[in-house]
Amino acid sequence: MSAAHATEAGTHPPVFTGDTLARLEALYDSYPTRQACLLPALWMIQEARGWISPEAIAEVATVLGLTPAHVRGVVTFYTMYHQHPMGRHVIQVCTTSPCHLNGSADVVGALLKETGCGELGATSPDGRFTVVEVECLGACGFATPMLIDDDFIESVTPERVAGLLQRYE
Amino acid sequence: MGFPHPIHPGENPVLSTHFGDPGAHSHAGWVERGGYTALRQALAMAPSEVVEVVKASGLRGRGGAGFPTGLKWSFMPKEDGRPHFLVCNADESEPGTFKDREIMRWTPHALIEGCAIASHAIGAERCYIYIRGEFTEPWRIMTEAVEEAYAAGVLGASALGSGRRIDIVLHRGAGAYICGEETALMNSIEGKRGNPRIKPPFPAQAGLFGLPTTINNVETLAAVPHILTRGADWYRGLSLGNSKSTGTKLISVCGHVMRQGNYEITLGTPMRDLIFDMCGGMRPGRTLKAVIPGGSSVPILNATEVEGCVTDYEGVVAAGSMLGSGGMIVMDDSTDIVYEIYRLTRFYAHESCAQCTQCREGTGWTVRILERILRGEGKASDLDLLLDLAENMTGKTICVLSDSCAAPVVSGIQKFRADFEAYLTAGRPHALAGV
Amino acid sequence: MTTELVTLTIDGATVSVPKGTTLIEAAKQAGVLIPHYCYHPSLPSPAVCRMCLVEVEKAPKLLPACVTTVADGQVVQVHSPAAEKAREGVLEFLLINHPLDCPICDQAGECELQDYVFQEGRSGTRYADYPKRFNPVEEFGPDVLYVPNRCILCTRCVRFMDAVAETPVLNVSERGDRAYIGIDPAHALDHPWAGNVVDLCPVGSLISKDFLHKARAWDLDKSPSVCPGCSQGCNIMIDTRDDVVVRLRPRPNLDVNRHFICDHGRLDYRWMNRGDRVEAPLIREGGRLRATDWDDALDRLSAAVGDAGQGDVVLLASARASTESLGLLHRLAEAAGGTVRAAVHIPQGEEHSLPGIPHLALRAERVPNALGARLVGYTDAWNAALDRVASAALVMVLDLNLPELLDRLAAATGVVCVLDTIDREWPVAVSHVLPVSTMAEEQGTWINRDGRAQAYHPARHAPGMARPAWWVAAEAWSRLEPGRQAEAGVDDAMASVASVIPALDGLTPSRLGLTGRIVAGAGVHG
Repeated sequence: MSAAHATEAGTHPPVFTGDTLARLEALYDSYPTRQACLLPALWMIQEARGWISPEAIAEVATVLGLTPAHVRGVVTFYTMYHQHPMGRHVIQVCTTSPCHLNGSADVVGALLKETGCGELGATSPDGRFTVVEVECLGACGFATPMLIDDDFIESVTPERVAGLLQRYE
Repeated sequence: MGFPHPIHPGENPVLSTHFGDPGAHSHAGWVERGGYTALRQALAMAPSEVVEVVKASGLRGRGGAGFPTGLKWSFMPKEDGRPHFLVCNADESEPGTFKDREIMRWTPHALIEGCAIASHAIGAERCYIYIRGEFTEPWRIMTEAVEEAYAAGVLGASALGSGRRIDIVLHRGAGAYICGEETALMNSIEGKRGNPRIKPPFPAQAGLFGLPTTINNVETLAAVPHILTRGADWYRGLSLGNSKSTGTKLISVCGHVMRQGNYEITLGTPMRDLIFDMCGGMRPGRTLKAVIPGGSSVPILNATEVEGCVTDYEGVVAAGSMLGSGGMIVMDDSTDIVYEIYRLTRFYAHESCAQCTQCREGTGWTVRILERILRGEGKASDLDLLLDLAENMTGKTICVLSDSCAAPVVSGIQKFRADFEAYLTAGRPHALAGV
Repeated sequence: MTTELVTLTIDGATVSVPKGTTLIEAAKQAGVLIPHYCYHPSLPSPAVCRMCLVEVEKAPKLLPACVTTVADGQVVQVHSPAAEKAREGVLEFLLINHPLDCPICDQAGECELQDYVFQEGRSGTRYADYPKRFNPVEEFGPDVLYVPNRCILCTRCVRFMDAVAETPVLNVSERGDRAYIGIDPAHALDHPWAGNVVDLCPVGSLISKDFLHKARAWDLDKSPSVCPGCSQGCNIMIDTRDDVVVRLRPRPNLDVNRHFICDHGRLDYRWMNRGDRVEAPLIREGGRLRATDWDDALDRLSAAVGDAGQGDVVLLASARASTESLGLLHRLAEAAGGTVRAAVHIPQGEEHSLPGIPHLALRAERVPNALGARLVGYTDAWNAALDRVASAALVMVLDLNLPELLDRLAAATGVVCVLDTIDREWPVAVSHVLPVSTMAEEQGTWINRDGRAQAYHPARHAPGMARPAWWVAAEAWSRLEPGRQAEAGVDDAMASVASVIPALDGLTPSRLGLTGRIVAGAGVHG
């Protein structure tokens, strides 16, 4: 794909060069098809860029020999792949029933207030945080769990929120 | 143990023995704790012998369906010349269930050992472990453990020097409940949308990449090494009364109990003992209202049904629900059960893959009716409508996500009708706060 | 090879079908239509619409008829209460987010959602109090609009582009009831066969821009025909409204085009409605062409042929003409007694195959009857024939729109008779202009590249005094040979042609049926 595709986020220098490409290529032997490397490849894009842009979709399609339509269908299926630019730190907080029983609504309230995001899905004015609601994080006995980037944090209470956020600039 | 709480005398720790023990993480630590003797033993046996041992143990799938594991393994074609795959389902995403996460966090080598034994049994050279994307910590731990296992010669071209190739590949999900459904999971590994597939063909004939595949849950595979070392008879003996439900089961208990956590019980333990004794019962001044006993997809039990319920596959069915994944959501009398049911339907509407009409449209419609009821704007006819939609959503789709959305609605209306009617008749308002 | 048959009962009717047949196809044999959306016989079956659920004795659940195969002794109930309730449920779910904008929807009248709701749906809605999902209309390609609000996510379009066109530019995007059909933003739906998604769409979600708001389906007259666009001979329907052709659509023929036609064929129909037609026979007198009646014109044509005597006759024809017309004109030319040099003009274009269907392509030979023309005595040696025009005693031209030909005719020294559809600026050398009908206005037979003789049928009236070319030839021939009875119809015309070309024996349009027959020994292409 041409790197000349301009977007609101600027031009799209390729993700799959150098080490990243080598990491992807190292996966090829683990699967009988290149297509099976798609989810790992999308993770690599998100790790590098924070979200998965249309240009990145086109790039990964070319690298793996897929069509952009297929890749986009996949990206929009999995909720952890961000289709839009996010804040510097993405907070994913669980609100499914077991967590709701344990007060997740109050945790969400505290997160929206402390981050300044104001509403779910929004990014704080300083670009520091985006808070999104997610379905069951699989740690119901440790309610309320949340992910800040790749850090899985258990038993979050409204009182703990401010302190936890301090670690993320 | 009732991790993270101290072990309770009512428990029977087998898989959970080393939960909370940081020394069990490493390969060396695992070997010190008796690890990999089962694999060595299995590799010295013919694959069919391993299958027979597991069959004889009575082990059943711990992911939800409870299908006999040895029987499932025996469906794999023999010496057909094609590659076989083992897939380990570590997509644990059924609300209320958090046991596989603990197995991977504390005893990653137990899972690797189980996977290796199963791979040998079904003639698979490669095992994929599909870990849900949100499990960042288990992912890291499993990654390190697999690297260690290769370095130690447990995995690779000659597993434990047996001459038998066993590879394990970790595959990370990316946020889709439905990928816990076995055929959706296979599509996901293949780099596709996680759409469940039509069966037949069944995975043993045409599974991952169209090749013979066995897919087992984390807990199921982690139980296998114990069965090998201690014998099928020992495992079959772990049963409090029902010979069809053998062994121990990790029960994740969450919600309104004093001590939420994972409890490893011998199948057949009374549910009452689990909730009121091991978990410490309700919070002061509260009484039990309801339990969803097998992950959010099964019918709700009321307090009376819980009273006599025996915690095994048949016992929970007799009480009117299913053991499922063993994730128990406990609700006390402070619970707005209409809201909690609504919240679960929202979960299913969010997770529907969009293939089947009933699921794609029915889950969303169910949510909107419940929302309206919660706003105090429900109609008298809404409950009958919900039940009729639930009937149209049950037993008619490729997978059971649609059924799962209907189950709490139907059982909720049947068992807690007064709670619904309070919204309908008294116009009880509810702020749909915070969500 | 014998096929193992399986006998089962469907709604009380017993049928025997080959092992491996799906219930939905077996039911067709039993005369039962099982309602369905996602299933299509030319596409892989995903079993997602869940509309074709039927009750099968001893099965614990209703089964999707599109992917369930027959078993001996099976008892299937399509219209049991449980199956009907399930389908009523599916229809209700499909309608909750549907805009119900049938009054402005092009699909209305031929919409499978309308049809099945009419047959089996609820009479009222239980979804009155909620807003419906809304997404804006999208332009998918040069001739395809996507109206997402009407979409039922059957995915036929996605599967066609994936599995048949093998150009996967469509997808299902998002999940749950937020899902919609997405398109690769960098690629329009411009595959040469993309228009088929419009036909495949069972509702009004994918619609043709060309046909947009042109006609209500119930106002259309539909005539079975064959596509004139190339030598593949895809079977089509010509849809007319008030005698104007408004749409061409594929007509199933499993041996030729299955369920598809290419966009070249689909969209090339405007010429059928041209207004600048020759509507009366024209005879040159005093340097000008003047209109006359058929009797006069035919007398003059037969005289001209007779006058050619032992001189050369050059016959130049379009390979879009019927085998009957080409054959009888050739026999008329032979009746003069001299040497007949007959040639057809075969325009060429780029070949575009439909990869998922073997032996289906828009062919390079952009005429439908090259093989028929060869069979009745025409060559492809076009330029050699042109070179003979100047010296020929008689030149006859059938329906050719070629500017360079007019220059050649201008230099002719013999008599030039033109049978044509369009009124042109004829050179002075042209002395007879005889109005003939187009393929849309007559019945006739073409032979496709695989040697399949296929009949096409009139879809609109010929203008003015235009007649099929075979009729002109037959009438002129009968005048030339007193006592000879002119062929009375197209079947007679084919019989006369077949009397000298035995391979064509019995292949009259009325005996070819809707799918045609292979001409013995005619399959000559590579």
